[in-house]
Amino acid sequence: MSLEDASLDIAPGELLAVVGENGAGKSSLMNVLYGLYHPDAGTFLMDGKPVRFKSPRDAIARGIGMVHQHFMLVPTLTVAENVVLGREPTKRGLLDLDRACDEVAATAKRFGFQLDPRARVDTLTVGSQQKVEIVKALHRGAQVLILDEPTAVLTPQESDELSQVMRGLVAQGRTVVLISHKLKEVLGVADRVAVMRRGRTVAVVRASETTVSALASLMVGEGSRGAAMTGVPAVAAGTQDAATGPVVLEAKDLRATGDNGRPALQGVSLTVRAGEIVGIAGVDGNGQRELAEVLTGLRKLDGGEGTLLGGPLAGLTPALAKARGVGHVPEDRLARAVVKAMTVEENVALGRHRQPPFARGPWVDFKGRRERTNQLLSGYDVRPNDPVVALQALSGGNQQKVVVARELDADPKLLVVVQPTRGLDIGAVAQVHERLRDAKARGAGVVMVSLDLEEVLALSDRVYVLYEGRVTGHFPRKDLDERALGRCMLGAEAGHG
Amino acid sequence: MGERTRQVLPSVLSVLLALAVCWLTIALTRDADTATRAYLQMLWGGVGNWPAFLEGGNSTAVLRPLGEAAMKAALLTLTGLSVAVAFKVGLFNIGAQGQMIWGALAAALVGAHVSLPGVLHVPLALIAAAVAGAAWASIAGVLKLKRGVHEVISTIMLNWVAVSLVDNWLVIGPLRAVAEGASSITGTAEILPSSQLPRLLGDSSRLNLGFPLALATALGVWVWLSRTRSGYETRAVGLTPEAARAAGIPTLWRAGGAMALAGALAGLAGAVLVLGTEGRYPGSLGAPYGFDGIAIALIGNNHPLGAALAATVFGILRAGGTRMQLLGVHKSFPELIQGFALLFVAGRMVWLALLERRQKRALAEKPAQAGVEVPRA
Amino acid sequence: MLEVLHSLLFSTLDAAPALVFAALGAMLSERAGVVSVGVEGMMRTGAFCAAVAALVMPTPLAVLVGMAAGAGIAAVHGFLSIRWRSDQVVSGMALNLVAMAGGTFLLESLYGPNGTPGITQLSRWNLPGLSHVPLLGALSGHSAPTYLALTLPFVFHLLLSRTPLGLRLRAVGDKPHAVATLGLSVPALRWGAVLGGGLMAGLGGAVLSTAVLDRFEQHTPAGLGFMALAAMVFGRWTPLGAFAAALFFAFGNALRIGLASSAPWLLELVPQGFLLALPYLLTLLVLALQGQRGHAPAALGTPYEQESR
Repeated sequence: MSLEDASLDIAPGELLAVVGENGAGKSSLMNVLYGLYHPDAGTFLMDGKPVRFKSPRDAIARGIGMVHQHFMLVPTLTVAENVVLGREPTKRGLLDLDRACDEVAATAKRFGFQLDPRARVDTLTVGSQQKVEIVKALHRGAQVLILDEPTAVLTPQESDELSQVMRGLVAQGRTVVLISHKLKEVLGVADRVAVMRRGRTVAVVRASETTVSALASLMVGEGSRGAAMTGVPAVAAGTQDAATGPVVLEAKDLRATGDNGRPALQGVSLTVRAGEIVGIAGVDGNGQRELAEVLTGLRKLDGGEGTLLGGPLAGLTPALAKARGVGHVPEDRLARAVVKAMTVEENVALGRHRQPPFARGPWVDFKGRRERTNQLLSGYDVRPNDPVVALQALSGGNQQKVVVARELDADPKLLVVVQPTRGLDIGAVAQVHERLRDAKARGAGVVMVSLDLEEVLALSDRVYVLYEGRVTGHFPRKDLDERALGRCMLGAEAGHG
Repeated sequence: MGERTRQVLPSVLSVLLALAVCWLTIALTRDADTATRAYLQMLWGGVGNWPAFLEGGNSTAVLRPLGEAAMKAALLTLTGLSVAVAFKVGLFNIGAQGQMIWGALAAALVGAHVSLPGVLHVPLALIAAAVAGAAWASIAGVLKLKRGVHEVISTIMLNWVAVSLVDNWLVIGPLRAVAEGASSITGTAEILPSSQLPRLLGDSSRLNLGFPLALATALGVWVWLSRTRSGYETRAVGLTPEAARAAGIPTLWRAGGAMALAGALAGLAGAVLVLGTEGRYPGSLGAPYGFDGIAIALIGNNHPLGAALAATVFGILRAGGTRMQLLGVHKSFPELIQGFALLFVAGRMVWLALLERRQKRALAEKPAQAGVEVPRA
Repeated sequence: MLEVLHSLLFSTLDAAPALVFAALGAMLSERAGVVSVGVEGMMRTGAFCAAVAALVMPTPLAVLVGMAAGAGIAAVHGFLSIRWRSDQVVSGMALNLVAMAGGTFLLESLYGPNGTPGITQLSRWNLPGLSHVPLLGALSGHSAPTYLALTLPFVFHLLLSRTPLGLRLRAVGDKPHAVATLGLSVPALRWGAVLGGGLMAGLGGAVLSTAVLDRFEQHTPAGLGFMALAAMVFGRWTPLGAFAAALFFAFGNALRIGLASSAPWLLELVPQGFLLALPYLLTLLVLALQGQRGHAPAALGTPYEQESR
């Protein structure tokens, strides 16, 4: 697990935020508090007495409730059934669903939620599902409520509403622990902020006595990214205001449907030229992922038109995109980019396995594949430098290096990268960034989707901001401003230039 | 523990444990001596009684058992390959039985009703069987890929549909052999001599072309999976379908193709049964070869050559089963061994956990050597 | 005409219980998320053990022995698939093969190829008020399993839809991690469902050798376990649906056998093979029409691992 020497004090009746980068150990620490994970060492005191939670049952009994980042609701059951699950009211041995509904409605009302206890959970919006989660915890008498990245999936309006709910709970004397990596949001609502880095708690500060940039430098430490994190973007070497290369992607009014069946892209237009990095910024779930999928042929276009590397965007398939010279570093590496049970060299071949040096006619070219893999492993400093080890034996950073190496080796004309450094350590992050700049220098057009605003600011020549499937802002490098970007991310139209 | 050891060791241990457990079964119900002698009989029945032969016995003592073992091994190899190929693309083919039924029927019909010289007749009958099996498997493939119907359920259903339609209708009805004279015949008409699989060792042994054919098929499947582009694509689809799709691999075609190939292999098994030994489609296949294929594939760890090896081992044991009767042990005994072996292979995770614990303890006892090994991070 | 219908109903009710019990057992296990292709093997074991036990004890007690035997096989399935997270289909098929070969081996070694010696069948009950009412009279004259099979589906329905345990079972089959975060034990719930399913499948098998026949025969249950799976799927993984499907399949079977003796000319037109294939074809059709996993529990076949999300 990813925790070492993490300490935390939580005072009753406060709103404590725990911040840190992805992989800093926030969620692990909370799962330990909730009894889901068991620590190797360390103590846990409640009201001054040591306690030990064998399972969530113990945590619940001591008044701790948790709202997980990925909802823990049974989609086929109703709101009331989900809430009472595990402590069901009965009448003569049978479920008393009427009483359950009444109880749940009462709890919801007491905390100001609008919820129909008889609605099936899979018919609810994400925001309502989160309310069900909160009611579930409160219904069990939670005095301490842990919320893990609660706003990652919410619209700004829903986020505001959630902030009020959290303050309301604190006002009633309950304790709220908020886990987040969104600093601005945290400062707006928390009493105190604990900062985690690499499995340790490195600082606890009062929210009123700190700033976004101070928290940011605590989060990353005094590493290479310090400058980029202060909110004043350093102009990276070679960035220019207007790329003059040929247009590699021209898209107008793109429309597409998301996995949940709702429209994800509602008219996105953008242009990408060779030799520039175009950042796509936005709060998670505003269509960025779907945009990347459309550009790589993984998602069907419902409407709109465009030209991608000399061919139409409509009817694009992954194979067609590859043939035209689109490289892709997807967000979910293990699901989309690699076959983890195959060897490193087999993964290096993936996608180009039909052409030399990876194939000769219908046959796999073992010698050519080995040679090319060895070159790439050395060139990208992948460890272990072993082409026949299973990819899953590599660390996440080294896996990502293999993916980036493979995609850049194909010399793409358009490179689509999504969250390229998520979960990587700082050294690997720097290397990936350097490689993206290399690709640009070699004349590739790069589309970079990232939820990490600092990353967008540090690398992009131009930035489009997506909000609810639309472009709400377009900034050339010289006009890049964190605050303006932030406003667009929350839905304000601006900066068309 | 190396990767290859991790793959092979659980299977080997499972077979050994199954042999031991079944030996104990006889030893406890009878006595240890009987158990050992029964095992020896099983061995002689499978590979031939070499001691008797070397002491100047008849060569039949060796050739006949080898022929019986090869016959069984050929069927097990082909159905095992059928299940293994489907597994490679991530599908569980429980339907080898049904596919084999259609393959056997197709081979019987082509064998009996088409006249051709032997050089062409046998290949045509084999191809017909493969096509029939592939077509039947493709129903499950299409249901899975187009409608999302789980292949485990659909292939189970298709097995029973095949049994009902073929055994309970076609073979006793429209396709039933016309009886000559007073004798009544079960099954379809006898195949023409030109379509029989040639015997390799003369009349003293039933060893026919089927076993070499099955081994060559196993080799072919292995070469295809490990050395060709499309084999590579098939494995990628089986392991991580989304990544394969993102890499531009036509996942539906690969999955559908592998399922059809699985059906073709099971169909071939039917052809080998009909053209090699039965001479016609009998009243029914007589044994659940398709289900045996599941055991063979899994004991062979879904590796084509592993499946061929497992099939050979169990072909020998099962051919030897008849000899166990001499000691009053029923001839179905080897099937019990096979069942237990599969059960123990199903507990693969248990084996790996036990082996790793052993290894850890060994490392703890010899800390000096533990440092030598280069950790792979 | 009425008489024909009466005898059809009677034989349906006589033959249905084994199918109903096995389908309910499979459904119980699958609703909790554990695949139950081993139900054929559990039935066979239950049938064998009940027949052997009935040689030395009263038949009703022997039925309990058969149930326990079914649960014993289910326990192995649980050990492999819950405790060790093995592939549930592999484990189930392995148990089928073991039961198949083991049953044959034991039968042949102990009693010979013709099955176990005859045993006392479960006694049949005449319902005095009913025996002479037209059609309803078909309800009279069956043994206890028939009446149990007519009531248990409703009990299961009540259990699943109206009790806390049922709610938890449904939840654990759809989203086990949600259940775990509420402090309930996923393995315990699944173990309960798998063992309960084994008891029911064992009962189904025991009924075959104590009520339908009077011995254990070589091929018992001859694919009835797989037909029970079909009934469960056809009935959309619900107790009443599985019950209706099982009754329907049993009726089809009775009709086929009835036709073979009373109207052989009809079977010239519609071959028996088609009628035999009908339950499976219908199940395939229903699956093809509803598509996308149909109504299967969402977490069916997925081993539960605590630390993964």
